[in-house]
Amino acid sequence: MGKLTIGCFSSLVGSMSLDFAVKLSEAAVKKGHEVDLWLSGNGTMLGKKGQSKFRDYSYLMGTVKELIESGKFKITNCEACAKARGIGREDTEEGFGIASMDWYLASAFGADRVLHIGGE
Amino acid sequence: MRLAVFLSEYREPAMLERLKAEKLGIILVQNGVYHAAVKKDGKVSPVLSKDVEYYALSEDLQSRGFSDSDVVDGKVKVINYDGLVDLLFNDYEKTIWL
Amino acid sequence: MAIKKIAFIVEKLPYKSETSRLALTHAIASQTVEIHLEDGDNVEPVLIFVGEGVLNCLKDQKALDVYGVTSLEMHIKNALLLDLKVQVCKEDLDGFGLTEDSIVMDAEEIGGEVTTEVVPYDEIQKSLEAADHLMFF
Repeated sequence: MGKLTIGCFSSLVGSMSLDFAVKLSEAAVKKGHEVDLWLSGNGTMLGKKGQSKFRDYSYLMGTVKELIESGKFKITNCEACAKARGIGREDTEEGFGIASMDWYLASAFGADRVLHIGGE
Repeated sequence: MRLAVFLSEYREPAMLERLKAEKLGIILVQNGVYHAAVKKDGKVSPVLSKDVEYYALSEDLQSRGFSDSDVVDGKVKVINYDGLVDLLFNDYEKTIWL
Repeated sequence: MAIKKIAFIVEKLPYKSETSRLALTHAIASQTVEIHLEDGDNVEPVLIFVGEGVLNCLKDQKALDVYGVTSLEMHIKNALLLDLKVQVCKEDLDGFGLTEDSIVMDAEEIGGEVTTEVVPYDEIQKSLEAADHLMFF
């Protein structure tokens, strides 16, 4: 089994790239792979506490929490990108890591495959 | 290199023409699946004209009202997320998301 | 001891989208990645500007004065100061009628020693092949 690092810089709800990243992570973890999901730019919104579950809007937190519990999935917010958006540690969902941008590079260093989805 | 190019938009990105690899696969996801699912003015998308492997994500076809059998060109293989994971780990070593 | 090469390929225009700026800041973050890795391991970035992305490299950007945000010009100078390899596609620069005089070629005024490489796309293709991982911005 291998390790996949995904970097997603796209908005929660606005583009569905995060939906793609989470579904791909789910499929990879189910197959026994390890996944690191790095959130930067607008992607850091996914880490914000207090998201409501409405059918008109993507809701990913349920799946993300199950993935975190699997022990094979790490999800990390870019600290600077999050703070610039008013998302501090106290605003971040439990289970989400918070790190500087070098974390993504370190994750990529140790990954078998890297998928950088980027921003809008 | 063995390169998987993810096309997420229904347009032909300039970078696509430039990429060279000993094995190149184009994976149509999000709005990129429209390349596989519709013809415009009766013509298949120019994105499908290359001599490479093509894949379209089933879940993104279905979200948009297409079934797997609606793909307009037989060279496009329809895969789901599970299949995509296998492709990434077994067939391609690098990726680019356009 | 392993060195992994990561190519940061920038095609998007600056400012309206933060994407190209994030390419620069992530590439520059390679300066501190060692703290997360085993002794002797490291990441070697190469920053590549292609297509419209070459316009990130223009000199004289006033973004800091006008909008209070660090300009891409300043980020590229920082990258050069930190000895990052920066490649700009010659064909794309030519296509916009630009020359080396139009773009950030060095960071000498802040003590940088490396210069931007304006190269044919074929050289960029080689950089993509040499990289372990690709990140397209």
